[in-house]
Amino acid sequence: MAAQANTAGSKKGFLQWARSRRGQQIIIIVAFMIIPLVLLFTFTYLPFGEMVGFSFYKMKYVGKRTFVGWKNYASVFSRKDCFGALKLSLYYMGGSVVQLALALYLATILSFKVKGGNIFKGFMFFPYLINGIAIGFIFKFFYTRGFVFDTVLQWCGFQLDNLPYWLKDQSINNISLVGTSVWRYFGQNMVLFIGAIMSVDSELYEAAMLDGANRFEQFRYIILPSIKTIVTLNVILSITGSLSAFEPPYVITSGANGTGTYFVVMNEIAHTQQKVGLASAMAVVLLLIIFAATILQKLFFKYVFRNAEDEDFGAAKKREKQLARYAARKAGR
Amino acid sequence: MKLRKVLALTLAAAMTLSLAACGGSDEGAAEAPAADDTAAEETEAPAADNAADDGAEAEAPAAAASGLTYASVNLGEDYKDLTTTIKFIHHKTDREEDGTIPDLIAKFNEMYPGITVETEGITDYAEDSLLRLSAGDWGDVMFIPAIDAAELPTYFVPYGTVDEMSEYINFADQWKDAAGNCYGIGYMGNAQGVLYNKKVFADAGVTSLPKTPDEFIAALQAIKDNTDAIPLYTNYAAGWTMGGAWDGYLGAITNGDETWLNQKFIHEAEPFKDHGDGTGPYALYKILYDATAQGLIEDDYTTTDWEGCKPMINNGEIGAMVLGSWAVAQMKAAGDNPDDIGYMPFPITVNGQQYATAGPDYCYGINANASDDNKAAAMVFVKWMVEESGWCDLEGGYPISKTAPTSFVFDGVNVVNNVTSLPGEEDIMNELNSESELSFNQGGDAKVQRIVEAAATGAETYEEIMADWTAAWNAAQEECGVEVLY
Repeated sequence: MAAQANTAGSKKGFLQWARSRRGQQIIIIVAFMIIPLVLLFTFTYLPFGEMVGFSFYKMKYVGKRTFVGWKNYASVFSRKDCFGALKLSLYYMGGSVVQLALALYLATILSFKVKGGNIFKGFMFFPYLINGIAIGFIFKFFYTRGFVFDTVLQWCGFQLDNLPYWLKDQSINNISLVGTSVWRYFGQNMVLFIGAIMSVDSELYEAAMLDGANRFEQFRYIILPSIKTIVTLNVILSITGSLSAFEPPYVITSGANGTGTYFVVMNEIAHTQQKVGLASAMAVVLLLIIFAATILQKLFFKYVFRNAEDEDFGAAKKREKQLARYAARKAGR
Repeated sequence: MKLRKVLALTLAAAMTLSLAACGGSDEGAAEAPAADDTAAEETEAPAADNAADDGAEAEAPAAAASGLTYASVNLGEDYKDLTTTIKFIHHKTDREEDGTIPDLIAKFNEMYPGITVETEGITDYAEDSLLRLSAGDWGDVMFIPAIDAAELPTYFVPYGTVDEMSEYINFADQWKDAAGNCYGIGYMGNAQGVLYNKKVFADAGVTSLPKTPDEFIAALQAIKDNTDAIPLYTNYAAGWTMGGAWDGYLGAITNGDETWLNQKFIHEAEPFKDHGDGTGPYALYKILYDATAQGLIEDDYTTTDWEGCKPMINNGEIGAMVLGSWAVAQMKAAGDNPDDIGYMPFPITVNGQQYATAGPDYCYGINANASDDNKAAAMVFVKWMVEESGWCDLEGGYPISKTAPTSFVFDGVNVVNNVTSLPGEEDIMNELNSESELSFNQGGDAKVQRIVEAAATGAETYEEIMADWTAAWNAAQEECGVEVLY
């Protein structure tokens, strides 16, 4: 103790502070946070920062690097293949709309009492559990001329000669690929929706039924407003997912024949052509696009749902006015 | 207060005890392997000593009485009474599993019953073999991994000088040191030509093998007209079968110039121009474009299947595939008609002469640190494998031994090798490949797939593609500061 007292005043001050309640709080907070923060920094922000750095260089994985400033970004915007590839995302966005509508529809049906509901849920969720690469191989054979899909369609009375080449025909091959992505993810969306719908108080349905609301009205006025958060989340995830679609085109067509999405082009540039700087710039640009898309969607949903509340608010006001007028008339009489 | 002290004490005691326990168990755990280690060391130590001794011994007598060369071994006469065990590590795990290698060794033992050969197939050979080589306990014979030529004398026994060895084998200069000694003998050679089904060609009425692009297209057309087979199977979907296969013919095969690919290509202003005589890169890729445009390839190229194409060509459902000779064995093994699979020189003729490039696959190397007996046994084994085993021919490879019988017929073809880059220019090709994004021989599959797409959909003419390539190549030359000389 005596030795400690002899040490410098500042140290004593620190020790005192460390023993104080406030000091203890801060020490504990820092001690608990340091590990996740260090991990987060080391494995997320540091590599990301490195990649942003790479995007200003002309470089390969090995060998010397030359600083080129904004040249990589300029070529991202001037090259045809980079932004041309983003157009393919429109196919995937279209697919995600179909996917969410389908998921919402099935989720609503399955959240009411349906015979064998759990089996259906299981079957529809199952594709999500399969590895993306395996799905790629499944669909490669599925779409091969005269294989599974064509055979099934032939059972339905189609002639093989009238059927298109699902992957060769450049006007539909992207739709075929989007189909695989819808098949894979709608089950997962559905399960999320079902989870959200489960949390709706069932008394509301009873009350609505007593008021004479049919199933669609129950969906429109009870279910949808209650699960708007999860709908927003799913839409945002699907749209950002469509911007960065990778697995179906990479595995099924290896991005050839007009199916190379932005990610596939980026992968080709980074790994085959070894233009790491350019690919990094592409990644940064895509990140900014995804940011922009997310913020726009956030604003959009804020607008949509606030509108709904406003409408209600307006209706209530109107009703109050009517009541007031009615009262005034009564009083005036 | 007292109670707290007691509590604290007990706690401290408990913790110390548990710590001690931990330490104890750790020690116990550590002891066992330590014991093992010592045991291992004891057993290993003499072995290591022996190896060191042998190495020392080997070096002195090997240099002095180095009677042991490839040429000096008379198979079936020398070393008949040698009794030892040698170990051979290799990458052909498929041949280990299907019994080919054990069969070969059984045959070897008919001639040399005293030499026991143990084999070990390694799946990830390229990586593992390097580790094993530097660790030093790999055995007596191995396929030489990617090492520097300067390190060859440290690890391997020379077979003789390259000049001497060239009398017996092809590609003796693959692994040579500065003194001109040969350290590696290929187990098979790979040549660049076209894989075809002899029966389909015969059925189509193609009697002599096509020698020019026009003849080749005509042959494919005959297959389409006269048989049900797919004339040319592109394997478009696999990707590597496009760039990886077609780029392999650039260089001497297309223009007869051994220096073109690695020395002139990078300095050429118009590498893809039409020479008008069916030669050069223009003629090479045009074969693919024309075949596609004329409907001589598979119906739906986007769903081709690499594994599926093997039985198809074996059964005569495919006429030809543009692949290196390494593919021959796989196609032969894929069905009941191995004898229908043939291999022809690439159909480009330069001034009346067809060319093929060829090189060895993995090469046998003999451990420089093995005992003298094992070295002799290994030398006998390698010579037997090269000359007597028939393994090379079994794989459908380009012959290694100049005397062993072979079914690989490249009549009237000049077999050459593209010479390497000029000193100081080794990296330029990589730079240009990357900058132009054409990636010749470096996974540039997309550019060859584009030819098929353009020809099938009519989106681009062949001239447009070539002009585009030339523009990209010139831009890359400018960007990288490469002088245009030709």
